[in-house]
Amino acid sequence: MEYILHLLILVCIYVMLSQTLSLTAGFGGMISLAHAGFYGMGAYTAALLAINFQLPFLLALLIGMLLSGLLALVVSTIALRTIDDYFIICTLGIQVIVFSLMNNWMSLTKGPMGIPGIPAASIFGFEFDNKISFLILTIFFTAIVFFIIRNITKSSFGRVLIALSEDEIYTKSLGKKVYFSKVASFTIGAMLAAIPGVLYAHYISYIDPTSFTVDESIFILSIVIIGGMRNLWGSAIAAAVLVFLPEALRFLGMPGNIAANMRQIIYGLALIVMMFKFSQGFLDRKKT
Amino acid sequence: MQIIVNILISFSIFLFVAQTFVLVYLPTKFFNLALAVSLAFSAYFTYLFSQQLQLSLWLSILLAIICATAVGMLSEFGIYKPLRKRGASPMILMIASLGLYIVLQNIISMLWGDDTKSVRMGDIQVGHEFLGAYITDIQIITVVVCILLFVACVVFMKHSRIGRNIRAVASNPELSNIIGISSDRVILWAFGIGSALAAVAGILIAFDTDMTPTMGFNWLLYGVVAMIIGGVGSNWGLVGGALLLATAQHLSAYYIGSQWMDAVAYIILILFLLAKPLGFSGKRLKKIEI
Repeated sequence: MEYILHLLILVCIYVMLSQTLSLTAGFGGMISLAHAGFYGMGAYTAALLAINFQLPFLLALLIGMLLSGLLALVVSTIALRTIDDYFIICTLGIQVIVFSLMNNWMSLTKGPMGIPGIPAASIFGFEFDNKISFLILTIFFTAIVFFIIRNITKSSFGRVLIALSEDEIYTKSLGKKVYFSKVASFTIGAMLAAIPGVLYAHYISYIDPTSFTVDESIFILSIVIIGGMRNLWGSAIAAAVLVFLPEALRFLGMPGNIAANMRQIIYGLALIVMMFKFSQGFLDRKKT
Repeated sequence: MQIIVNILISFSIFLFVAQTFVLVYLPTKFFNLALAVSLAFSAYFTYLFSQQLQLSLWLSILLAIICATAVGMLSEFGIYKPLRKRGASPMILMIASLGLYIVLQNIISMLWGDDTKSVRMGDIQVGHEFLGAYITDIQIITVVVCILLFVACVVFMKHSRIGRNIRAVASNPELSNIIGISSDRVILWAFGIGSALAAVAGILIAFDTDMTPTMGFNWLLYGVVAMIIGGVGSNWGLVGGALLLATAQHLSAYYIGSQWMDAVAYIILILFLLAKPLGFSGKRLKKIEI
């Protein structure tokens, strides 16, 4: 039972990550491989603030989001000078830079040793120290993130994003601020991606750089793509399936390390299959 | 002095990997990340044939190159060609190649495990002393083979029939089809040659620094960075890009610490895109088609 609660918390964290990336990659059309970097920014900020300054959880969350957003703002203004595949390479670069900061800035992040002993999250004196209460907290935040992203995508700003991801020149000709909208959506996505990071740090109570690698970014991107790019419920379901998949494989009698590889093989194959489905581009077929 | 030797070694590998990458990029116009697996596959096949099946070294290298080439050509045949026929954009192809990379890399992990494997014979050699710097036999071979093959590749692209066809398809696929050059066949050739060259790079790297299933990705990305800095389609640009990257990496390793080499590569890339989004000699990157 404890273990199922643990998995459910992880599902919620990945749902949040995939929703935030869906805003950037699905609606904004900016396929980003830097998402685990922003996720890690949130986690590290929360961990360091909680341990070194004993800041309350909500304040650390806010600072984590701001820092992650600031980084996203800076890098996206540079990276968004390029498009499509060049942009993907750029975000990959950002991811590697953030990772090597986490891995090598020994005095701040303790490098590969990681940061142990992160206290449990507490809001107004209430400690979320057991799994059930933490699950409720995570679900609460997942709902908030879902609500925010849903509203953004339904707003006029969301429609500008969809339009520019399909035809940038045309959107520009309508007088919309293409570059600004892209930077804004990238930044909002990164800010919200810090939330699951903060939650993860408080939940596991120990973080090290291996949780925030390029592979993690690829995994989050796969969830979004398999979920259908602009389908928020789809990516939620895909996140649940992909998190439970290795457990199911282990249940079928596969040894743990092979199950981990099998999971990656399955989502790699799913990526290829989805590319066949999306080979005409990521248009929403139902509405066109 | 050692630093110059190190720069030279990195430079030749970067140059070679970038050239491999460009060869596939030119006619297909997409970043084929799965080439990273050709690199790793060939190293592991060499390990399989020479250590596990006890074949002679040269034979196993040859077989490994053939196998890696076959994997590359099969991927073109099975995945990229059907996708192109369905009108996929370069970005779609790139994500598909990312998927393929994940699949193949995990197959390697499953078959051979995640730990470091070695194809080196005997003890680690100290290497020759050369003007106060140390360089091992295999590093000399790496530098010579990489630069020779790079030059051979340039000559091949300029003067052979297949090379000219590849350039023709690169500049205009429809027109090439009209005058009787089958773009599919040319792209298949490009994949074959590209994978074979990546295989050679993989084997050389494996002899120098051993192998892990993820070894290809970093090297390939360095190649991509060199290519973007240098601009696609210019050989001198590639040389410049690879040289800049190798120099910056080793200087930073010397002054700051070798753990920052990855970050430095990408910081250069990002600074470069800030100053000159098109590379030394690149083509336009705007999303404009009128």
